[in-house]
Parts: sequence; structure tokens; C-alpha cells
Amino acid sequence: MTDVILDQVEKRFGSFTAVHCLDLHIKSGEFVALLGPSGCGKTTTLRMLAGLEFPTSGDIRIGERTVNDVPPGKRDIAMVFQSYALYPHMTVEQNIAYPLKKRGVPLAERGAMVSKVAELLQLDELKDRKPKQLSGGQQQRVALGRALVRDPKVFLLDEPLSNLDAKLRAYMRAELIELHARLGRTMVYVTHDQLEAMTMADRIAIMNEGRLQQLGTPDEVYNCPANRFVAGFIGQPSMNIADGTLDETARFRAGSFEIGLDPERFDTRPGPVALGLRPEAISIGAGPIAARVRVVEPTGHENIIILETDGLGALTARTAVQVRPTVGETVQCGIDADALHLFDGADGRRRNRDDSMVTQTPVGERAKVKESQ
Amino acid sequence: MKMSRRILFNVIAWGLVLAVAFPLFWMIVTSLKPGFELFRRPPTMLPETVTFEHYWRLLSETPFLLYFRNSVILASATTVVVVGIGTLGAYSLVRFRYRGRESLAFLVLFTYLLPSVVLIIPLYLFMVKLGLSNTITSLVIAYTTFALPYALWLLRSFMAGIPEDLESAALVDGASRLGAFRDVILPQLLPGIISTALFTFILAWNEYLYALVLVNSDGARPLTTGVMTMLISAFNIEWSLLMAASVMMSVPLIIVFAFLQSYLTRGFGAGAVKG
Amino acid sequence: MATADLSPLERKYARLGIVLIGPTVLVFCAVIVYPLISAIYLSLFSIYTPTLEGEWVGLSNYAELLAKGEFWSSLWTNIIWTVGTLTLQILFGVGMALILHQNMIFRSLARSLILFPYFVSTVVAVLVWRWLFNDLYGILNHFVMWTGASDMPVDWLGSMPNALLSVILVGAWKYFPFVVIATLARLQTIPDSLYEAAKIDGAGPIARFFDVTLPQLRDVLVVIIMLRAIWDFKEFDLIYLLTGGGPVTSTQTIPLLVYKEAFALNQMGMASAYAVVMMALMLVFMILYIRRTQENEL
Repeated sequence: MTDVILDQVEKRFGSFTAVHCLDLHIKSGEFVALLGPSGCGKTTTLRMLAGLEFPTSGDIRIGERTVNDVPPGKRDIAMVFQSYALYPHMTVEQNIAYPLKKRGVPLAERGAMVSKVAELLQLDELKDRKPKQLSGGQQQRVALGRALVRDPKVFLLDEPLSNLDAKLRAYMRAELIELHARLGRTMVYVTHDQLEAMTMADRIAIMNEGRLQQLGTPDEVYNCPANRFVAGFIGQPSMNIADGTLDETARFRAGSFEIGLDPERFDTRPGPVALGLRPEAISIGAGPIAARVRVVEPTGHENIIILETDGLGALTARTAVQVRPTVGETVQCGIDADALHLFDGADGRRRNRDDSMVTQTPVGERAKVKESQ
Repeated sequence: MKMSRRILFNVIAWGLVLAVAFPLFWMIVTSLKPGFELFRRPPTMLPETVTFEHYWRLLSETPFLLYFRNSVILASATTVVVVGIGTLGAYSLVRFRYRGRESLAFLVLFTYLLPSVVLIIPLYLFMVKLGLSNTITSLVIAYTTFALPYALWLLRSFMAGIPEDLESAALVDGASRLGAFRDVILPQLLPGIISTALFTFILAWNEYLYALVLVNSDGARPLTTGVMTMLISAFNIEWSLLMAASVMMSVPLIIVFAFLQSYLTRGFGAGAVKG
Repeated sequence: MATADLSPLERKYARLGIVLIGPTVLVFCAVIVYPLISAIYLSLFSIYTPTLEGEWVGLSNYAELLAKGEFWSSLWTNIIWTVGTLTLQILFGVGMALILHQNMIFRSLARSLILFPYFVSTVVAVLVWRWLFNDLYGILNHFVMWTGASDMPVDWLGSMPNALLSVILVGAWKYFPFVVIATLARLQTIPDSLYEAAKIDGAGPIARFFDVTLPQLRDVLVVIIMLRAIWDFKEFDLIYLLTGGGPVTSTQTIPLLVYKEAFALNQMGMASAYAVVMMALMLVFMILYIRRTQENEL
């Protein structure tokens, strides 16, 4: 069992706190993505797992062991760096063999192990090249090979795909998913790209300003965002969030817009709140809200439409290709009352009551379902 | 029009470059002229007869070779000591965190700018007390006062240019700190070390003041003070001989310039100006 | 950073760091810190060099030197030398850098030739220049008389103000390559797009120099000026070897004065006092420079 556990881990650099009291339990064999904007503490967290930074307080456990004082090389982890960090003066083969050499694997065995990995990653032809003579994608594969070669318990990946072009990135995503399935090792993957996190990870840990915002499956973080930050961060285009107030009769008001909320489903204590609506929860054509069309962005398989409304301000809607209003036109639109998210006005916490009601639709299907409504 | 302006520019530019280089050209020309031609008026721009007699006399009749040997030992020893200590020190200053590191970096920069004349009197007394005066060792010790801060400063910026991820990767791959230093950092630092060594060597090779004060016997005297003694002690100044000595003294420099110039420019970029 | 916060591994690393810096610290203490402190200490004594015997005189060395005309005249010479040679170095250095930045034939050879004076030993530079300055057979005097600027050979080093001007000139020749290389390195990093944008906006070559090149060079020039000012101020070899401070004391700067007091007049305590005062004067520039570098690093 190689669970990875962060127990009340905190990291301060002088007076700056990079990571606040982080509790995170990553199960053995799980693929967890640490997701967040830059400076959110995700890379610091990963580097603490690797032993390259040290927690100011709290414990880090890998498997059964508390590793706070175990140097990186003895933690049985491998890491892939954003910059790949290939040793420039060594050939591909020497790069991949380096972790074996440092672990005292006899020379004879090294060759075979390196060959196996090189074959797996289609690097056989390149074994005698220096990193400088490789393309970005090839360098990336060498970095991966160096991590794979000694079969560690835990893989740590720090934005490994961010320096690749879009096409290669999509390809490598699939490769990594496959690799994870085959190896069954625990993987911790740092990224700022929600698409990577959503498509690859079993669970996503979303961080902001050094704090864990939510830990959940891609579906959970999409459908039941724990707070306003997660709601706004996950989803492309992002969720429409309108500030307003709830009165004693559980009616939400924002300017001229108002809607009654079901106290069964929401915590409807009166006060300032924010109402969240995914773009796919807005339908154009019929409905109570009058909106002026500001921008129409056709993407080929759907249209993204930015609307201007009185009460809710600017709204982004996602519609089927057929729905294509002209810019400047005033349209009527409706909202899907089942898909409302309510957040506390003060601390941003989610105030939906019954989250099990949210349909657990696979990520890719979501848009289609809404379109057909 | 455009062509003629280009030609004019080239003529002016090269005219200036040659004017700057003229003293060095004149040094070589003078060293090759026979004695009688030296005092010709007007002077001949190129020697009518080329002679190497001055070089021959320099090597056979003067202690030049002894001075040269001293300078080689002195500059090499200084370079080895300073680059050795400096490499470890720079690694520590850039890649480790401990109390007092910042103030140490400050001290390095401060001493880098410190005038030699402030240190020279105490150092002189120090060497006398240790019985080291008139030895090459005393000069090596004295030269570290300016060469070590200089080398540290250069190496520090070379070291800072090596991506930290490389060392991190080596640590994750199972190396100890010192193992990572040997396997990954040192090979990456090598060009920086070479360039620092060259600068240090040149600095030590050219130093004059300490040599003047601390050494007063031919056995330990380096070229700088040695050649000046030849000037002072001569009954009448033999310019050709002195110019031959100057040329010979610049030979290591010329070698560096011819083969290792890229390291010189690299060093300039790293420490001298970015500072 | 308080040591109490560190984990054992972190503390182990810190210890290794201290071990690695150890030799440096040791050498620094032995050859720099200790002599520096003893220089200040010595300046409170009156010491006769040959016997090295001394007696405590307190601050009277300082009182004496501040009252002495020689100190003030040396300081004045020192300032003229520094300002004069630095100005020439900057003007000529920046100009030459601009030229070498253009497309000229055999550019790399030209660069090597320009760089050479900086790397050549001061002893060599001085010998060559003394030969050039030679009153009877020096080529400079031949040139002066050939052009008819003067019908008498010029006494370049033996009379004033020629001696000071000559020293300043040779100093500029020896050290301007530093300015060239530093400026050139900066010039090469100015993006072409800036010049293209200026061209599109209708700037001619002169306007482009003042509006694009110069502002981009400003930072590096400030650093160069500070660094060279410090180095020029403490220059000993070049002046000592060219004129020895003469004629009489008219090219004598403070470093030369220190040397003379200590090893010609055999007054080590007094010499130390001069050195300490000189360092105090330089401290202002040094701190300015160090401040600036540290700012840039953060």
C-alpha cells in the first residue's frame, strides 16, 4: 500500500505562507491532479512530497513511512519536471540509467532495464543523442523514461506537458492515462490546465492561495463545486455567477431579476448570496429573461453566446449550432432551475442542500444533454 | 552612395581600432629592430632588418626565464587555490540556505571592491612575522585577497545560471547533495570554471603592487616587478630588450586570446558587469 | 531564518553548506578581515618600518594628515585623475562599442584588438607608453614635430600639466575596453523591434540613438561608471610606474601616498591612517554599488 498522506502540512517562506494547513489523502494507485492558478501552492506541495522542500510543520507519509526527514532519493518516488531537467552532458541512455546507477544497480542489469524503457517510449533510436539534439516531445519522453526506469512507488509530475504543442499534448495525455492504467502506481500530477486534470485524474485537488479548495472526482468538482472559487475555476467557459440577495421568502434578487429557490434544495437563510449558472444551463429562444446579444462565438460544434441582461449582468450561454442569434438582437432566454448553484455571499461556500440530486453525467456528455433539453 | 558610405565607415572604424592597437604594434616592431635602427630619424614603421637578438639576449643574459618561471608558478598556484575554494564557496552561497549567507555574499562583494593598499601594510607585517617574506607562497596568499572575491563573484553568477531543477532531478534520482554536485553541477559549471580560471590567471600574472612590496629577491620575483627591475638597474635603458620582454610577458595572453576567447567574453558577461 | 524551524534533513543540508563555505570564510578572515582590522589598529600607532617598533599615538596620525597639505593635494589629484580618465573611458568606450556593433569587416579581429589593452599587464602597458613618450626617440614626439604642432620635443611625463594628462590618457587607453565590452553586451540585447518601431514612428538615426539606444544603455552605464570609478580611484600600478607621482608630487594620488609613507618614509602607522581615510572615502561609492547590485538580484 502506498497511500500518500499530507497531514496538517504547512509551508512558510519567511512571512509568506505558501501552503496552509493542508490535509490530503491520496489512495494507493490513484491518479490525483493538483490543480490551481499559478502561485496557489501546488508546486510547493509536490516539491514537499519529493523532499525538495521541507514542511514548516505537519507530516508527510508515503506508504507506511513518515518521510519528513527522508532525502528525496530514498523516498521511492520519481519526478518529472516541467523543464524536463535532463542532464545536458549525458546521452539519453545515460540520463535514463542515472537513477539506476545511483541505486547501485549492476551495470549489466542497467542496460536491459534502460532498453526496456527506451523501447516502451520509442526512444531506441535516440539512445546515443544528447538532450540538446532532441525535440521537445522526445525530451519529454526521456524525462518520463528516467522516471519509469526504476519502477517507483509514486510518480510526481510537475506540469510535464506544458511545454509541448497542443497536438502533442493531447497525444501524451492519452499515453499517460494508458501508462497509469498499466502500472497502477500512485501518481500526483501538478497542472494549471483544467482540461488535463479533468481528463486524466481520478480525483482533483483544487488549490488557491495555499489552501485546498476541494478534493473530488472530476464530476464532483464540476457538478458540485464546493465554493465559488472552484465554481469559477472549473469549466470552460466558466460558470456565470451573479451577486444578489435572498429575502425571507427564499426569493433571489439581483436587480430586476428574481427567482424563487426551493428551501428543500438550498440553504435559503436570507442575506447576500451568489447564484451560479453553467453556460449550458441557459437556453435561448423562449423564457422570462430578456437579453441583448453582445458576442457570438461559433466553435463549429456549438456556439458560445455572450448576453447582456438587466439583473444578472453579462451571461455566457452555450448553445447548439443551430441557435445563432444576430449580434445586437434582443432574445428571450430561460434558465434550467435544476442546475442552479448557490454560494454564500460572505465566505463563498456552496449552499445547495442535496448534492446527490445532481446528475452524474460523464464529462463529455454534459453539453449534449443540455442541448437536447 | 550607400556603398561609399559603408567604405567610409569601415575606413574610420578601422582607423580608430588601429590607433588603439598601435602601441602594441609598436612594441612588437621595436622588439624586432636591431639597435642601430631604433634611433633612426624618422623612425621606420616596419623594421628594415628583422632580428631576434633581443629575445636571445633576454633569455640568455637576463634573469627573465627565472622571473617567467616564478610567474607561471605563482599564477598557476593562485588559480588552483582560488578556483578550488571559490567553486565550493559559490556552490554553497547559491544552493544552500543557512544563517549569515546573505551577509557573506555582501562581504564578498565588498572585498571585491576593496583597495589593495589598505591591506598591504598589515599583510606585509603578517608575512614578516610568519617568516614568509620573499617567497612565492607569500604572494599566493596575498593574491587570494583580490582573486578569491573576484573568482567567487564570477562563479556565483555562473552557478546561478545552472537550472535548479537539474540538481533537484539528481536528488530525486538518488544522488546525495555532493553526488549531485559532482555528477550534474560540476560538468555544467565547467565552462564557467575555465573562464574564471583564465581571468584569475591573468589577474595574478599581471599583479604588481604586492609583488613590489612582499618580494625583494630574484628567486621569488615574478615578471611584473622583475622586468621593471631590469629597466631601473640598467645603465642605459635598452628599449628593444624591454619591448622583447613585454612581448614575451604577453605570450600567455596571446595564447588565451587566440584559442579561448569565447571563455573570456563569457566571463565578462557573467560577473564583471551584471555584477 | 530561525534554526528552530528547520527539519533534521534541512539542518544537515545547512551544515553541509557551511562546511563548503568554510575554506572561503577561513581565507577571508585570515587575509582580508584580520588585515583590515589591523590596518585600522595600526593607524593608531607610530611605527618605524625597518624595526617595526611602534608606540600608541591615538588619533594623532589622523589629526596630522588632515592638517597636511600633501593629503589634500593628493586627494585633489586623485579626483582629477578619476574624473578625467573615467570620462574619457566612458566617451571612448561607448563610441567604440557603437562602432563595433555595426557591420564592419573583420569585426571579431577588431574586437580582439580593442580588448587587448585591458588584459595586458600594466607593466607592459607602461613600458610601451614610456617608449612612445620618450623625449628623443619616442614616436609621439616625432609625430608632434612632423605635424609642426611644436618644434620642440614635448616633455610628456616630466612636467605639468603634461604628466597628469599623459597619465589620464594612458589610463583611458588601458581601461576603456572594459566599457566597450560591457556596453557591447548590452547593445546586443536591445531587441531589433524597438528600432523598427522607432523607424515606423519616423525617428531618424540620431533620434533613434537618443530615444532608443541611450535609455536602454542607461542602467548598464550607471553600473559601469560606479565600478570603474571605484577601480580608477584606487589605481596604483599605472600611475606609480608611469610617473612615480612626479614631477615632485604633482601626479601623486592617495594610493601612491600610502606606499610612499610606508616604504619610502618608513612611517607605517601614518601610511595606515592614509589608507583608512581613503577606504572611508571609497565606502560611499562601494555601498552605493553594492546596494544597486543587491536590488537587481532581488
